Amino acid sequence: MGLLDYKFENSNVFITSLENLLNWARLSSLFQMQFGLACCAIEMMAASASNFDIMRFGVIPRATPRQTDVMIVAGTVTLKMASRIKRLYDQMAEPRYVISMGSCSNCGGPYWEHGYHVLKGVDRVIPVDVYVPGCPPRPEALLEGIMKLQEKVRKESLAKKKQTA
Amino acid sequence: MLTEFGKILIFFILGAVFVAGGLIASWILRPNRPYPEKLRPYECGEEPVGNAWVRFNVRFYVIALIFLIFDVEVVFLFPWALVYRELGLFAFLEMAVFLLILIVGFAYVWVKGDLDWDKPKPVIPQVNRPIQSIDQPVVKSEPVTS
Amino acid sequence: MTPQEIHETLKGKFGEAAVEAKLDALQPWIRIPPNKTRTIGAFLRDDPSLQFDFMMCLSGVDYNDGNLGVVYHLFSMIHKHKVVLRANCPKDNPHVQSVSEVWGTANWHEREAFDMFGIQFDEHPDLRRILCPDDYPGYPLRKDFKVPEFYNGMKVPY
Repeated sequence: MGLLDYKFENSNVFITSLENLLNWARLSSLFQMQFGLACCAIEMMAASASNFDIMRFGVIPRATPRQTDVMIVAGTVTLKMASRIKRLYDQMAEPRYVISMGSCSNCGGPYWEHGYHVLKGVDRVIPVDVYVPGCPPRPEALLEGIMKLQEKVRKESLAKKKQTA
Repeated sequence: MLTEFGKILIFFILGAVFVAGGLIASWILRPNRPYPEKLRPYECGEEPVGNAWVRFNVRFYVIALIFLIFDVEVVFLFPWALVYRELGLFAFLEMAVFLLILIVGFAYVWVKGDLDWDKPKPVIPQVNRPIQSIDQPVVKSEPVTS
Repeated sequence: MTPQEIHETLKGKFGEAAVEAKLDALQPWIRIPPNKTRTIGAFLRDDPSLQFDFMMCLSGVDYNDGNLGVVYHLFSMIHKHKVVLRANCPKDNPHVQSVSEVWGTANWHEREAFDMFGIQFDEHPDLRRILCPDDYPGYPLRKDFKVPEFYNGMKVPY
């Protein structure tokens, strides 16, 4: 039901400790939706494997969007795939985040000029939180992207977002 | 002061409170923002097509039924095993008769084939084009009608 | 068999249909008419001295002078010789007879040529787009193709 979701006008001392607890719990167990589309998927697999191991950060791959917190879009997004990405992003449960990995999903990558079937950046269909540059990015770069996302989650709050004037 | 059943009641209540507490806490804390696209059934990203109800094989029901019968038989065996020492030969013969009746049923189920789990036969694809190798004499195949 | 002998055998059976050829190129090729590709392909596959049982590739071409073309690369596993066939068709009426009954791999190769160039393959069992979405406007690899501005609400160019 979400009794406490976005119900407070501004943060007070009552809920900051609750926020800290919630944010710590959420950032330590970011279940990822394995969304490897192209070559960046290999680097994502390398990051999940034993040498770099994102599982020690709590990032466990799940196959269904209903059980995940973060979708790591790794690889070239074609126009055919873009509608599926939108539908899968809609089927994720809040709080949900998106990491765009690699230059193809950041901005179209090497296909930016002549690609007739490539979506120039996945942020044309879904909102992205962290962009990880590289072609493909090294596993350490993906790890840094996940840590930046953890920093972002740490600053989330239960209070209503202030309307910027 | 507290009977044995009372202790079990306390245990039961604490278990229920533990589970309900977790569910209520997450109900208070989680966000709930449903909209139509989120509530669609999951079909790997495609538009959902067709009915979600699938016909599944009757062998699941048969196995469950057989399991139930023999599970109840085992439930009857447990208290008999506890008091067997005091009752002697009479208890042994009584249970032997009981088990014999159930073994007849078990043999019937086995022979009838209800315990087998059928596997589908592998289908080997048939190719209707002659494949020739360099060792065999060359065979003229039928020409495609033009 | 040398390319000359293959060309002679083909000319002997089909006459003026297989006359033009360039046999001293790196990959010797023979031109065939687009409405007879299946008959010629069946003959090439079944004749005991030729036996081209493996179609290595089927590619579409846009010659930029109003013609589209299809190029077949054939190989014989038994005699170990290769040949290349070319079939041209005009861009405003691009019809080529399908060879998917002769070589099974041609099914998907012809779907790709249709998807990228718009070449219609007659008597193909299942001619539809294979790489691009079914409602994509245009045929991408033609020389006069313009990238669409919007596709299903998404902006396509950079």
